[in-house]
Amino acid sequence: MSRILEIDDLAVDFDTRFGRVRALDGVSVGLEAGETLGLVGESGCGKSITALAVMGLVPTPPGRIGAGSIRFCGEELIKAPKSRLRNLRGAEIAMIFQEPMSSLNPVFTVEDQIVEAIMLHRPIEYDAARREAVALLERVGIPEAAQRARDYPHQLSGGMRQRVMIAMAVSCRPRVLIADEPTTALDVTVQAQIFDLLGEIQHEFGVAIILITHDMGVISEMADRVAVMYAGRIIEEAGADDVLDHPQHPYTRGLIACIPTLEDDASLREIPGVVPPLHALGRGCAFADRCAYMDARCRRERPALAPTGHHANACLAVAEGRL
Amino acid sequence: MSGSYLIKRLLWGVLLMAGVVVLNFLLIRLAPGDAALVIAGEMGGASEEMLASIRKEYGLDRPLMVQLGLYLADMARLDFGQSFYFNQPVTGLIAQRVGATILLVIVAQLLAIFIGVVLGVLAARNPGGPMSAFVSVFATIGYAVPVFWTGIMLIILFASVLPIFPVEGMQSVKLREAGIIVKSLDILHHLVLPAFTLAVIYLAQYARLSRASMLEVLGSDYIRTARAKGASEASVLFKHALRNAALPILTVAGLQFGNLISGALLVETVFNWPGMGRLAFDSILRRDHPTILGVLFFSAAMVVVANLLTDLAYRFADPRLRGRT
Repeated sequence: MSRILEIDDLAVDFDTRFGRVRALDGVSVGLEAGETLGLVGESGCGKSITALAVMGLVPTPPGRIGAGSIRFCGEELIKAPKSRLRNLRGAEIAMIFQEPMSSLNPVFTVEDQIVEAIMLHRPIEYDAARREAVALLERVGIPEAAQRARDYPHQLSGGMRQRVMIAMAVSCRPRVLIADEPTTALDVTVQAQIFDLLGEIQHEFGVAIILITHDMGVISEMADRVAVMYAGRIIEEAGADDVLDHPQHPYTRGLIACIPTLEDDASLREIPGVVPPLHALGRGCAFADRCAYMDARCRRERPALAPTGHHANACLAVAEGRL
Repeated sequence: MSGSYLIKRLLWGVLLMAGVVVLNFLLIRLAPGDAALVIAGEMGGASEEMLASIRKEYGLDRPLMVQLGLYLADMARLDFGQSFYFNQPVTGLIAQRVGATILLVIVAQLLAIFIGVVLGVLAARNPGGPMSAFVSVFATIGYAVPVFWTGIMLIILFASVLPIFPVEGMQSVKLREAGIIVKSLDILHHLVLPAFTLAVIYLAQYARLSRASMLEVLGSDYIRTARAKGASEASVLFKHALRNAALPILTVAGLQFGNLISGALLVETVFNWPGMGRLAFDSILRRDHPTILGVLFFSAAMVVVANLLTDLAYRFADPRLRGRT
C-alpha cells in the first residue's frame, strides 16, 4: 500500500477574542490508499479543522495554517495555488458533511448539484453528466432515481440527502473521501445504512476514507486505523483493533470505557471534567486536569506522540510505566 | 407553479383595488377645500347660483354615498370621469403620462437592484475590507439624503459643471421627428439623471441588505459543499450564494415599489419628467378630484401588480415555496 495523503506537523491558528489560538498543534498522520482512517475525539478537538485543512478550506481569516505540510500523492498542498486546490477538491479529495439537511443548496435540484460536480472536473457533455448523475443516485440506493433527480433537497429525507451527498462526493472518483460525522444527524437505523453504503462505495471505487467521528462503535465497524485527538493534537494512533482492545492513553481508555454495553449496569460513564479551552492550555499535557495518572511532570511537559511498536501514544504515564 | 394560486392572487388583487377605490374616494371628499370654488375660480367668478349650478353639473350636490355609488358604477366601466381642471377624460390624461412614470420607476428599480446587489456581494466577500466600509458609509448617506436634494445637486452638477446629461424633460425638441432608434436613445439619455436620483435611496438599501443577506448565506453549509466540490469563487458567490441571498432582496424590492412610485412623483417634479407626478401635483393643488383619484388608482394598481410579480418571482426563486397556495 502506498501513502496517498501525508499530514506532517500541521498547525492551524485561529484569531479569537482571546488572541491567537492554536487549534491544531503538530498533527502528523498518514492515509494509505484504500484504507479507512478513523479520526476520533470530542467536539472541538480539531478533527474537522484537520479535514478542512486537507481540503484547503480553513476559513481565512480568522484561521490560517501556522506550520507543517500536507502532501497528496507527494504534492505539497499548503503552498499550492488556489486554482490547483480547486482542481483537486471534488476531483481527488472529496468531502461529505455532518448536516445533510443543510449541506445541499436548497434552490437547485439534486441532479443539478451532482452534474455541477461532474462537469467541474471532467470534460463531459451535459446530457452525459446527467445520465451519470442518475446512475450515481441509483448506485447510492435512491429509489426511482430518475424522478428523484429532479427533486429539490427539501423534498428528500435526511438519509436520502446524505446519499445524494455521497453520490456527489464520489462522482469524480476521488482517491480520498473525508466523511465528517456523516451520520450524527441521522436516525440510528439510517446510520447503519449509510455506513454500509460507505463501505460498499469504498470497496467499489477504491477510495481511502478519513472518517471523523466521536463514536467508538462506528470506529470498530468501519476503521482500519484510528487516530485519537485531544485539544488539537493526536494523542494516540494505531490499528483500530489495537486501540479498541488495548487503549494506552488514559483519554482513549476513558473514551472506550464510555461505550455503553448491554451487560453493564444502567448508568452511563463519562470522563470527569471538560476539555480545557484552547486559549488556556498550559505548558503541560492538555489532559492532565482530567487524568487519574497525572503527576508533576505531566504539568510541566507536553508529551510528544511516541511510537511504541505500531502503537503510538502521547502520554508520560505510559512512557514511565506508571500506568 | 399552480394556476389556482395565480387565480387566487388575481382575485385578491381585484378586491384590494376595489377597497383602494372606495377609501381614496372617501378620503378625498373628507379633505378640506371646495372643488366647486376652485372650478369657479378658474372661470373667473363665483356667485352662489353659479356655484350651485357647478355643483349640480358635477354631481357634487348629491349625498356622498350616492356620489360614491355613481363613481363605482363608472369605475366598473373603466370610466375615470372628466377632469374638473383640464376638462378632458381622466383616462386620456393618465394614458399620456403613465408610460413615462412606469419607465422611470422600472429603470430606477432595476438600476438600484443591480448596482446595489453587486456592491453588496463585493462587500460581503470581505466583510472587514474597504469595499464593505464603503458600502456601509454609502448606504447611510444614500438613505439619509432626500431625493429632491440629490436631484437638485445632480442638476447643478450636470447643468453647469459637466453638461453631458440633460437635466430636464424626456425628449429633445429637435429630435421629435427623428427615427425610433434615435428617439429611444434620446429618451434614455434624458432618463439617466432622474432614474439615478430615484435609484440612489433604494440602491443604498439594497447594497446593505445584500451584504447582510450574503454574509449569512456565505456561512451556510451548502456554500462549504460548493467549495468542497471545487466550484470557483465567482460561482460560489454569484450562483450558489446569491440565488439564496436574493430571497430577502426580492421581498424588500416588492415592498419598496410603492415608495418608489411616491419617490417618482417627486423626481418627476424636479426633473420636469412628463409622468403622472406632475399631474398628481397639479390636480391636488386644484382639487381636481377625478384626476387625483385616477392617479391614485393607477399608482395603487402598479403596486398591486408589482407585489404579485414579486410573489411569483419569489416562488420561482425558492423551490420550497412552490406548490403552496
